[in-house]
Amino acid sequence: MIRFCLERIAQLMMVIFFVSTLTFLLLRLAPGDPAYILLTTHDVPASEEALSALRKELGLTEPLWTQYVHWVTDAFTWQWGTSYVSKEPVTEELFRRIPATLELATAGLMVMIFITFILGISTAIYSNGLLDLVGRLMALLGSSIPSFWLGFLFIYFFSVQYGWLPSMGRGTLKHLILPAITLGLGMGTIYARVLRTNMLEMMNQHFIKAAKARGLSNRRILVFQVFKHAFLPVVTMLGTSFAFMLGGSIIVESIFSWPGLGKYIVEAINMRDYPVIQGYVMFTSFLFVSIHIVVDMIYVLLDPRLRVR
Amino acid sequence: MVKNSHQKYALVFWMVFCSLILSLAGCAGVEKEGAVVTASDKKVTLAFPWSPQSLDPHGSDSWEIMRSGMGETLVKLNEELKPTPWLAKEWKQENETTWVFKLEDNVSFHNGKAMDAASVKESLLRSLKKDQKAKDLLQVESMEVLSENELKIVTKQPNAALIAHLADPSTIIADVTTIKDKNNDPAFTGSFKFKQFNKDESLVVERYEDYWGKEALLSEVTIKFIPDGNTRLMALQSGDVDAATDIPIDNITLLEKDEKFDVFTAPSLRTHMLLFNMSSPLFKDVALRKVIDMSIPRADIVKSIMMDQGTEAKSPFPEILPFGKVEKEKATESIEQLMKQRGWKKNADAMWEKQGKPFEVTLLTFPQRPELTVMAETIQSELLNEGIKVNIRQVENIDEVLANDDWDLSMYSMLTAHTGDPQYFLNIFYQSDSESNVSHYVSPSLDLMIGELNHTTDWTKRNQLALQIQEMINKDLPQSFIVHPKTVFGVRNGVKGFTPHPIEYYYIHSQIDVNE
Repeated sequence: MIRFCLERIAQLMMVIFFVSTLTFLLLRLAPGDPAYILLTTHDVPASEEALSALRKELGLTEPLWTQYVHWVTDAFTWQWGTSYVSKEPVTEELFRRIPATLELATAGLMVMIFITFILGISTAIYSNGLLDLVGRLMALLGSSIPSFWLGFLFIYFFSVQYGWLPSMGRGTLKHLILPAITLGLGMGTIYARVLRTNMLEMMNQHFIKAAKARGLSNRRILVFQVFKHAFLPVVTMLGTSFAFMLGGSIIVESIFSWPGLGKYIVEAINMRDYPVIQGYVMFTSFLFVSIHIVVDMIYVLLDPRLRVR
Repeated sequence: MVKNSHQKYALVFWMVFCSLILSLAGCAGVEKEGAVVTASDKKVTLAFPWSPQSLDPHGSDSWEIMRSGMGETLVKLNEELKPTPWLAKEWKQENETTWVFKLEDNVSFHNGKAMDAASVKESLLRSLKKDQKAKDLLQVESMEVLSENELKIVTKQPNAALIAHLADPSTIIADVTTIKDKNNDPAFTGSFKFKQFNKDESLVVERYEDYWGKEALLSEVTIKFIPDGNTRLMALQSGDVDAATDIPIDNITLLEKDEKFDVFTAPSLRTHMLLFNMSSPLFKDVALRKVIDMSIPRADIVKSIMMDQGTEAKSPFPEILPFGKVEKEKATESIEQLMKQRGWKKNADAMWEKQGKPFEVTLLTFPQRPELTVMAETIQSELLNEGIKVNIRQVENIDEVLANDDWDLSMYSMLTAHTGDPQYFLNIFYQSDSESNVSHYVSPSLDLMIGELNHTTDWTKRNQLALQIQEMINKDLPQSFIVHPKTVFGVRNGVKGFTPHPIEYYYIHSQIDVNE
């Protein structure tokens, strides 16, 4: 287990190094002059003196390799530079917004797990019935409805029409409901289908037949035998989904004006705030790889066969 | 034993399920946010698209600080966009480069400290140090405190636009000691003072009781930052905010139909235009630029794309400005005559061609202003009818592409007179050696005229010069000006005084009120 962990941590370091180098190069290759964008935010033209002074201040006049060396040295000392826009350290800017994104991602994950369990188990029990048809339809809708449309639809009905929930912002639990459902609904309906299929496959296994032969009730077999085994592949997907929700709640955060990392990174990309974008990529790649390692560990703990191998 | 654990799991499941349902149901009858109106405590919540990154008035957030009602400058622009006294009650010009400003008495910063000439000097020095734009606008050589409320400003060269430029938000007067120290609340002089700032979320300002002017009618204003236009509109419709700025044009009819809301519009100082690349082989010839200009269906664009929320543009400056009333000469020749004179002939497909080469151009557009792309498509279709093929190319960063030479036409949008004065824009956008001269327009005679404008102090003469410069621009046609868009606000009934202003940073003032 210790060797397994060390191997994975070494992999994590390598991935982060390659991802950050690639991001650095791609950002510099992408069009956009941060100084120009910063100075013309309000569409008022900027003078040549202002542009060159700001380019110099931001270190953009230095050769690319010097900029890269600065970036790598800073990254190793956990200093991810200073935001071009706010002039504050990138780490502070990112960490300030993490709680909001974490809150939304956790709530989204809860919605997703709730839907996966309820819909997955019930459609497995009543497979080929009306409920199964509804589940299939929901999975189809969940995978095909884009979240920006779903988000606006929710705001329209629950905020504008009935005034039950706030349309935007963060604060109370009621602020969390619409963005969390928007984030979790789509994936939840898809995973419910995965869980259903796994459960139905399990039902044909010998040990289930043996359980039936021992006289256990169908419901008990489903919940304590079938579900336990069918849930294993879903764990991996849940881990990945959580990482996606943390890093990829960009659209939902923008629609609901949720002050998290997603909304911040969209603004940073628009402003070509290189240090922030680089810091964000470092952070999300670290998060993705770490979550994968944790999922792998959980997998090993849940499935004794993997430990033997 | 097995039965017991089964029942335990079932119990836990139903408890979780019921609590989720209850928490959802509990949210159903929630009170709406927004205006809380009592006799002595009136508050209002507004939605703005822009969010400041800090509360430093001297840098990229100056506009946002000004918009919050906290900041003030020495000079203010009135409805006619003429400079009027604000923190400076009067001024006089001693010679071409020297101005003496007399400051308002009894002005205090939000921390109670009195505003005097020394603190104004400190504040201006800080903005000159931190913001190159302030440096460009003011061109200050030195400043001298003459008395407690008299400040002398000497400019490096004659700068007739100094007074108008002192209305720019980059020159907000602040107690600099409170800005340098992050532990203090920033102290300005406006009718509202800082209360709370939640980065990316909201800024709350409250009435400043010792304000030197008319005391604010509202006790508190909350500004929510909502960048997405549709979310901003829905926040207004749902009652989360009482008013919202920059309502997407497509949704204006939605608000107009609803009796609960008023829609207010005001002309902006923005101009949507079509740039010609004067280095492009085709558009070196003014006749071909004229052909394109004549083909632009301005009236249709205003009506169908801008939904009548704009006016046809004849020059870079809107007509609300004293130097914006430019009469455009009517074309004496038709497109066909102009083309034939230049040796172009129509081919079998009714397209213009010369020496076997068709008249085919590339038109750039960018996603940040979606209405420009729709305009580009309209122009493309109109030019196709005239026999000119236009290929539209959408680019992510327009300014980067414009810096190169490999383009013919481009959509563009600029705020042309943000201080109500033409000098800054003409210098930056038209001087031959300026980096922001995106059309690569070189005209020594125009450079001379702009130079003359920079030195002219007489108001009437300045306006006349600005008009002559625009006439020359219209003759040489480095750009085709299409439309001056309007600013659109959506306001809930009962909110008074929150109306759009041509100057985009005077939205919050002491006289905004809300019905009881």
